[in-house]
Amino acid sequence: MNGAQLLSSAFVVTWLSASLRLAGPVLLAALGETFAEQSGVLNVGIEGTILLGALASFLASYYTGMIWVSLLVAVLVGIVANIFLAWMYVTVRASQVVAGLVFNVLALGIASTIYRRAMGNSAVPESIAMFHPLHIRFLSDIPLIGPAIFGQTILFYLTLLLAFVAHFILYRTNFGLALRASGENPAAADSAGVSVYRMRYAGTLISGAAAGMAGGYLVLAQVGLFRESIVSGQGFIALGIVIFGRWNPLKAAVAAIVFGACDALQLSLQIFGTHVPPQLLLALPYVVTILAISGLFGGKAVQPAALMSPYAKD
Amino acid sequence: MTRLFERRLTPLDSPLAIFTTTTTAFLAAMLVTSFLFLSYGASPFQAYFALFHEPFATLRGFGYALVRASPLALIALGTIVSWRSGFMYLGFEGSFVIGAAATGWLALLTAPGSRVGPLPFFLFLPLAISLAFAAAGIWAGLVGLVRARLGGNEVLISLMSNYVAIFILQYLVSGPMRAPGSLPETPLFPRATWLPFILHGTRAHAGILIAIIAAGLVWMLLQKMPLGYEMIVTGFNPFAARYAGIDVGRRLVLAAFFAGGLGGLAGMVEVLGAQHRLMDGISGGVGFVGIIVALLARLNPLAVIPTAFLYGGMSVGADAMQRRASIPSSITFILESLAVLFVLAFDALRYYKVNLSVLWRRSPPPVAEQVSK
Repeated sequence: MNGAQLLSSAFVVTWLSASLRLAGPVLLAALGETFAEQSGVLNVGIEGTILLGALASFLASYYTGMIWVSLLVAVLVGIVANIFLAWMYVTVRASQVVAGLVFNVLALGIASTIYRRAMGNSAVPESIAMFHPLHIRFLSDIPLIGPAIFGQTILFYLTLLLAFVAHFILYRTNFGLALRASGENPAAADSAGVSVYRMRYAGTLISGAAAGMAGGYLVLAQVGLFRESIVSGQGFIALGIVIFGRWNPLKAAVAAIVFGACDALQLSLQIFGTHVPPQLLLALPYVVTILAISGLFGGKAVQPAALMSPYAKD
Repeated sequence: MTRLFERRLTPLDSPLAIFTTTTTAFLAAMLVTSFLFLSYGASPFQAYFALFHEPFATLRGFGYALVRASPLALIALGTIVSWRSGFMYLGFEGSFVIGAAATGWLALLTAPGSRVGPLPFFLFLPLAISLAFAAAGIWAGLVGLVRARLGGNEVLISLMSNYVAIFILQYLVSGPMRAPGSLPETPLFPRATWLPFILHGTRAHAGILIAIIAAGLVWMLLQKMPLGYEMIVTGFNPFAARYAGIDVGRRLVLAAFFAGGLGGLAGMVEVLGAQHRLMDGISGGVGFVGIIVALLARLNPLAVIPTAFLYGGMSVGADAMQRRASIPSSITFILESLAVLFVLAFDALRYYKVNLSVLWRRSPPPVAEQVSK
C-alpha cells in the first residue's frame, strides 16, 4: 500500500467516523421536532432547549460525575422548559415562530447567567465525565468501516434506535395517528374525539425532551465542556433536517448523516492540511441545509397542513 | 348573565389597551427579573437604579444608549416591513454583517493611498448607504425569491443564512481584508469616513438620525403609499391580495429586499459610527434583539425609536451593572425576552371585557342578556 492510498483510507475513516458522531445530536433533536411538527407545532424553541439541556447536563456531570443521571437531568430540563413553550403555542395561541425565537434569547440569557453563577469567572473550562466510544469485539476491528460504524458512543446507537421507535410510534400506533391528525386537520381530529390540545402539548413536550437530551449528547459525548456558543444553530439545522427528511424519522436519520458528512468534511480536511479556507467548509452544512429546504427538490406538499396555525376549539 | 370577565369576539385594539398591556407585561418581566437580582444578594431597587441610571441620567451613558439604539432601531424597522408583508425574515444577523462588510470594503477603498483615494463625506455617505442597502437587500432578496418562486420556508432559510454571512465575514477579516497584526480584523477606517459625532463629550453619532429618518420613511411607506398598502394586504391575506390583482410574489421579494437593506444599514451605522473597523463577531446578537424591539413596539415604526432607545439604554446599563456590582449583563437578555413573552401572553387579556359592575350589583341582570350564553 503506498502513501497516497494510506492517506486517503485514513481520510475516509476519520471522515466517516466524524460524520456519524456529528449527526447524532441533530438527529435526536430532529426526531423530537418531527413529533411537534406532526402535531401542528413548529417548535423553533428547540435551539434554546438544546442549550439549556447542554448546561443542565454539564452542571449535573460536574457536581455528580454520573453521566446517565446527567443525561436524565438534561431530558427533564428540556421537558420543563417546553411546558412553558407548549403553553405559549397551544393555550395562549401565540405566533409559534415569535414565541420560539424569543424563547431562544431567553434561554441564552438564562444559560449564561446560571453558568457564570455556578462557575464564577474562571476562564479555565472545567472538564467533566463523558461517554466513551464503544469497542465492539470483531466488529470494531473491521478495517475502514469498523472503527467508524462500530466505534461510536452508546448514545449514537440509542439515537438510531429511537429513530425506529419514533417511526413505529408515528405510523403504527393510535397515538401517532391522533398526533398526525392534529397536525393535518385539527377540526376533523377534534370531531373524531381527539384532544388536539393534548396532542399538541404531547408533541411539544416530546420535542423538548429530545432537544434537552440532544444538549446532553453534545456535552457528554462530544465537547465535554459548556460554552454559550455550543449549539450554534444546530437546533435550526434540526428544523431543516425535519423538512429534508419529509417529516419522517427514518428519512431524517439519512438527512442527519448527510449533514454530519458536510460538517465533518471541515474537521477531516483540517487534520490533513488543505488550502481551502476553513470558513468555506464551516459554512457548507448551512448551505447544504438551505438548498435542501429551498423547495428546489419539492416537499411543500407533504408538510403537515395545519403546521404553524394555532387551533381554537369553538 | 353578566360575568366579571366576558369574552370578546375581537381583541380590544384601542391604543390605550395596547399600551396598557405592553406596559404591564414589561413591569411583570421586571418583577420576575427582580428575583434574579435577589439571588445575587442585590436589592432589586438598587439593581434597577444601576440599570437605568447610567444610560438615562448621565450624559456619557446617554450617548452610548444612542449608539446602541441606532442599529437596533434599523433592524426593528426591517422586521416591521417584512413581517407586516407576511414575510417572516429572521436573517438580520446576516444582513447586518453583509451591510457592514460592504461598507468596510468601500471605506477602505477610499483610504488615502489606496486605488480610489479619499472621497468628500457628502459623496461617500450616500454611496455607503446605497451600497450597504443594496448588498444586504440582495442578500435577503434571494431568500424572498426562494419563498416566492419555490415555496421554501423563509423562517428557516433566513436563520441559516445568518451563519453563512457570519462565516463570509470571518473569511474576509482573517484573509483578504486582514490588517497586519495578531487579531483577525481590518485596518481602522480613515477618519474621513466616520459618521460625525453629534453630542459633545459623548460617542453618540449621526447613526441615530439615520434611524429616525428611516422610521419616518417606513411609516410613510406603510401608511401613506399604495405600495405599502399592497404589501400589508399581502401580509394579511395573500389570496385576497392576488384576487385584487396584486403581484404577491413581487411584493414578497420587495419586502425581503427592504428588510435586508435596513439590516444592512444597521451594519453600516455600526461600523461607520461605533467600531470604525470590521472584526469577527461584530453582530453579537443585535439581529435578534432588534426583532424583539420591533415586537415590543407592536410593529409600529414610530414606536420603534423610543423602544430601541430603551433597549439600547438597558444594554448600556447592564454593562455598568456588571462592572460595578458584578451581576452578569446576560440578565438583561432575560428581562428583554421575558418582556416580549409576557406581551404575547397578556395579549390574550385583550380578548376579555371586565364588568366591574358585577362586583357591587347583587340583583340578577335584565333579561336582554339571555342572548349571550
